[in-house]
Amino acid sequence: MTKAKLSKGLIFTLLLIGGIAMSIPFIWLLFSSFKHNKEIIGYPPTFFPETFTLTHYLNLNSRFNIGRYFMNSVFLSTVKTVLAVYTSLLCGYVLAKFNFFLKNFLFKIVLFTMMVPYIITVIPVYQMITDFGWKDQYIAIIAPTILSSFGIFMMRQYIKTGVPDELLEAARIDGAGEFRIFHTIVIPLCVNMISALTIFLFLWNWEDFLWPYLVLNTQDKFPLAVALNMFSGQNTTNYGGLFATSLVTILPVVIVYFMFQKRFVEGISMSGIK
Amino acid sequence: MIEIKIKTNSQMASQKALIILVSVLMISFYSVFSIGPMIYAFVGSFADWNPIKDTFQFIQFNNYIHLFNNQLFWKSLKNTIYFVAVVVTGRVVLGFLIALGLNSIRKYKSMMRSLYFLPVIMPIVAVALVWKWLYDPNIGFFQMVLSAFGITNVKFLFDPDLALPSIMLMTIWKDVGYAVIIFLAGLMDVPQSIIEASEIDGANKRQQLWNIIIPTLKPTLIFVIITSIISYFQTFTQIFIMTKGGPGTSTHVLLYMIYREAFQYYRFGYASAITVCLFIVIMIVTFIQFKIMKGGEV
Repeated sequence: MTKAKLSKGLIFTLLLIGGIAMSIPFIWLLFSSFKHNKEIIGYPPTFFPETFTLTHYLNLNSRFNIGRYFMNSVFLSTVKTVLAVYTSLLCGYVLAKFNFFLKNFLFKIVLFTMMVPYIITVIPVYQMITDFGWKDQYIAIIAPTILSSFGIFMMRQYIKTGVPDELLEAARIDGAGEFRIFHTIVIPLCVNMISALTIFLFLWNWEDFLWPYLVLNTQDKFPLAVALNMFSGQNTTNYGGLFATSLVTILPVVIVYFMFQKRFVEGISMSGIK
Repeated sequence: MIEIKIKTNSQMASQKALIILVSVLMISFYSVFSIGPMIYAFVGSFADWNPIKDTFQFIQFNNYIHLFNNQLFWKSLKNTIYFVAVVVTGRVVLGFLIALGLNSIRKYKSMMRSLYFLPVIMPIVAVALVWKWLYDPNIGFFQMVLSAFGITNVKFLFDPDLALPSIMLMTIWKDVGYAVIIFLAGLMDVPQSIIEASEIDGANKRQQLWNIIIPTLKPTLIFVIITSIISYFQTFTQIFIMTKGGPGTSTHVLLYMIYREAFQYYRFGYASAITVCLFIVIMIVTFIQFKIMKGGEV
């Protein structure tokens, strides 16, 4: 009995040590962002700030238009996520519930493209975007993700069993059209799946770096991740400013996580269910 | 009773319209942004394709011949495989151990889970920058800790032998939480009744682990391993932010090579040849996955 208790305690202690180690980078960043630059580069290095300062935060907006980049990221991530979630539901529903000539072919394409490395399409799509004259426009970032193979697959698997055929038949007998059935019956039944996919796609879009970095030139259009990279290239020695800026880009997702913790964890777990 | 599936004409029409809408949407999207570009990349890998000079001329296998004679390609492939092997192992083993631990505790479970999970949702660009500073030989946190033990002059990202392992550590730190969450979900499927029955039969923890828990989790384990392999073969952002392939070529991975060839030198044909090679490697890995899944489980 005591032995079991001892091992339980040991497991807990190990997990706690590991958990603290996991949060050290974030805590170090937080503390360092309140230090004067002199202290950051000084010797010996400190962990806790010796003199506490808010300078870096107060100066933030004058050198780095955080509000602007933040809104760009919010806009891009929201539009991309909403579009992909809606089309995933639509395509997933049709692939799950109707029989038609192209059905198997389309589903095979979805499965195939899930396995293909995205990088193989980056170069040709970049060439196309240039040819279309879409460079430096948001359409170049939004258009290639209007459909999500991952999302279609997830929705199709769920709707196949999660939306009962009897319910759809009943609505048809009542005279409802297919589009109304989709919007008033199918979508409400998929709420959990929708929130899972939304979280997943939003996180993906929020941290997306390479593609926006390649296609955008105008600073004012940059999303947060691209802007942060640019800022770090311009301010290599202003450590305090960099720390504060990085912290501000990390903080929103952390806050949102604690607001919807349960949904996040559910969403991530669902991606592993096959 | 009348035939139950009777539909009005307008219903038939709306059904047809929905199917046609989805078919057209999917076919046009995949031809323009997915399958089409794949074919384009494959064809382009046999061409001298340069968007700045506006050239697209077929040069047979020249891109591939140059590529296979390029030391940097083999070095990048070696670095990529090294990176994939270490990070996948680290993520899966640590993720599994942490999930087992979290599964066994009652108190503070969700708080603990959050500690491990938070890095997953943090944007990779910010995380890579933070770790670049953590590793900094002058101002960095690791330098501070090591110097407390009298160890100085560790150069981390500036040391050819330590640069890639440093990035691996950062990547494991960032991504382990995802595996933890997936494994925790998988552990919920482990039948408690069998665990209890095995306890009555006198099975110890180790026997339970190998004979009950791991077999139940096998599909989940394979899922995490395969998706990790595919995504780590495409590691780019942390390399780009932290080392730009250096020092020397010590962190030069395939994706970084593709990026440089395509978007610094605008050798699109040559870069496409590398993506085709990467595609083949990943297809082989996926094929092996299906073999294992079919052979071993369900």
